[in-house]
Amino acid sequence: MKSILGIAVVEVRLFLRDRSNIFFVFIFPLLLILLLGSQFGANSGQARVVLSGGSGTELAKVLSEQLKEDGVQVSSAGAGAARDQLSRGRADVGIFISDDDSAAFASGQPADLEVLTASQSAAQAVLQEVRASVQAVSTERRQQSLLESAGVGATEAATALKQAKESVQQPQVVLVDTNDVTQVFQGLGRFDLGAAQQLLLFVFLSSLTGAATMIKARRLGVIARVMAGPVASWQALAGQALGRFGIAAVQGGYIMLGTALLFGVDWGNPLLAGLVLAFFCAVSAAAAMVIGSLMDNDAAASGVGVGLGLVLAGLGGSMVPPEFFSETLQAVSRVTPHRWAYDAFAYIQRHDGTLADILPQLGVLAAMALALLALGSFLLQRSLGRAL
Amino acid sequence: MQRAQVLGVKGLVKRYGDHTVVDDVSFHIGAGETYGLLGPNGAGKTTIISMVSGLIPADTGSIEVAGSAMTPASTRLKSHIGLVPQELAIYPDLTAKENLQFFGRLQGLSGRDLKARTGEVLDLIGLADRAGEQTKKFSGGMKRRLNIGIGLLHRPALLILDEPTVGVDPQSRNSILESVEALATEGMAVLYTTHYMEEAERLCDRIAIIDEGRIQAEGTRGELVELTGGVDRIDLHGSGNTGAAASALRRLPGVKHVDGGASGLTLTVHNGPGLLAPVVAEAGGAGMALSSVEIVRPDLESVFLHLTGKALRD
Ligand SMILES: Nc1ncnc2c1ncn2[C@@H]1O[C@H](COP(=O)(O)OP(=O)(O)O)[C@@H](O)[C@H]1O
Ligand SMILES: [Mg+2]
Repeated sequence: MKSILGIAVVEVRLFLRDRSNIFFVFIFPLLLILLLGSQFGANSGQARVVLSGGSGTELAKVLSEQLKEDGVQVSSAGAGAARDQLSRGRADVGIFISDDDSAAFASGQPADLEVLTASQSAAQAVLQEVRASVQAVSTERRQQSLLESAGVGATEAATALKQAKESVQQPQVVLVDTNDVTQVFQGLGRFDLGAAQQLLLFVFLSSLTGAATMIKARRLGVIARVMAGPVASWQALAGQALGRFGIAAVQGGYIMLGTALLFGVDWGNPLLAGLVLAFFCAVSAAAAMVIGSLMDNDAAASGVGVGLGLVLAGLGGSMVPPEFFSETLQAVSRVTPHRWAYDAFAYIQRHDGTLADILPQLGVLAAMALALLALGSFLLQRSLGRAL
Repeated sequence: MQRAQVLGVKGLVKRYGDHTVVDDVSFHIGAGETYGLLGPNGAGKTTIISMVSGLIPADTGSIEVAGSAMTPASTRLKSHIGLVPQELAIYPDLTAKENLQFFGRLQGLSGRDLKARTGEVLDLIGLADRAGEQTKKFSGGMKRRLNIGIGLLHRPALLILDEPTVGVDPQSRNSILESVEALATEGMAVLYTTHYMEEAERLCDRIAIIDEGRIQAEGTRGELVELTGGVDRIDLHGSGNTGAAASALRRLPGVKHVDGGASGLTLTVHNGPGLLAPVVAEAGGAGMALSSVEIVRPDLESVFLHLTGKALRD
């Protein structure tokens, strides 16, 4: 056991001692999470509606006020410009007000508003909000015309309605469609999603690039020298594997703790989150064993590590949330350990999931780790035959 | 003197494909003895050492270390051996001390014992004042010394040094050779491979001359030299009646051959040192005025040439 630990500790120490790692392991991930989090607050968090036409009419004014009151960011633009904004994803929903609509609204008649939705998935959620706002406007309008037709003066009617609104809690409009994107991300703070994604990306990436220390040790003949001592080959393998796990755990633990402390990221139940991290670290470590045994050039291995790390992270939903994936891509994403860990974190962070909820994910991660570890051990053993 | 046997190798064979890299090699080393494997690059020295230290399996043959059979699976037995590989096997990003401690722990040293032993070895290899520096900043000689220090850490019964002076400046080389001499006097058995004849001559009690995987000859330096026929050369430089001196010397018992040259005579003799006095007397008596006399004894280079028909270094 002492020799296993000794080997593992040196691997982690060498990883930490490598100056070029300091930025990519300790600074870059947090910067990225900070950046993603602030973007989330500026854009994706607030629904953006562009109003076109009907400028100066009461309909436009009332609608705009209601939307703003509902927390929607409202802008106005000409019809062409509005369509352009929608196509570029700068607005989520466009409302096009015709002169007929304005006139109908002014005379208390029903008005049919033309609505266009942008292609991004979040736009559907915004459309729901817009519907609710329009609903509120038309309800108020109808109540006012009812009061007016009952002989109440227009000004009094408006004042009465305003007072009524302030004294009575408006029922909150709740979206019930579970497929809805906003529903999926409910329960997440602005940094939470990005933190989980980047955690997975960087743990895997750092593990793979960290395989360079193992290749160096092999190339330098240090591993062969270890085997010339009273160390069984399984112990040397276990030491290397544990060292790789340590590297992954240092990276993951750092991001988990750092984001919780600095950005207040809520990782959910800490025990379960730690468990998911540990399983994911095991997969990362085992993958690093494969790279570290298969490749003979540590610089090339770092390159392959970065490439593979980024591609798998992208496929596994660590860049764009997998909820936005097409069905095919959804299926493909399940080849990556990232996706399984992502889903496990989603249960824990968003839905207070229990151990039972994430058992399937943990099971898949464990199977991946074992398969890769077996392959890595076989390859390392074979590569040692080449040593000296 | 009968020494306790530390290493016994019998009929060792290793093939890669149909290339027999080590071919029926047998030898033994006793405590306090320094045994040399002298041979050119590719002779099979490292392969022999890899089998002896249990890194690779032998195809046939047996290896006994401290009385037990050594195979790659003999994990515990390996602590009897200190291997100093031909290629530097140290971590460049760890300090000298950290390197020693890492390998020391693997050898089962710990705590006070490890600390004391690390300090002793650092002193021995002359790196005590550089102990806290990363070894990538070291000179070639310093790295070599550390490489050796790691092999010594756990006081092995058998120290195996695989070409420890390759790529080392003359000063470091000398200090390495001195340490090896000191270790043998402490009772450590040393297996030393080299393709430098002078090192084998200086260090080794017994030497195996190895070429193409086979031990061509084995023995003390003197025994090996005997194989060439045991002939020395005496060079006589001088002037005067060299012709008469040559005929007089040819009649002297022990002289095999006399060649005349412009500036003197070259004699091929048995036992040069023993014959020196009569040779000088005869030459002088025959009227030759000697300016200098030199005995040239055959070295391992000539033994290698004699045995294999090729030069040791080519
Ligand atoms: N793993 C291997 N596979 C094939 N050939 C090998 C292997 N290891 C050594 N050899 C060959 O065995 C011969 C002896 O090599 P080696 O023992 O390193 O010689 P030395 O140490 O005396 O220079 C060389 O011809 C070398 O190419
Ligand atoms: Mg060699």
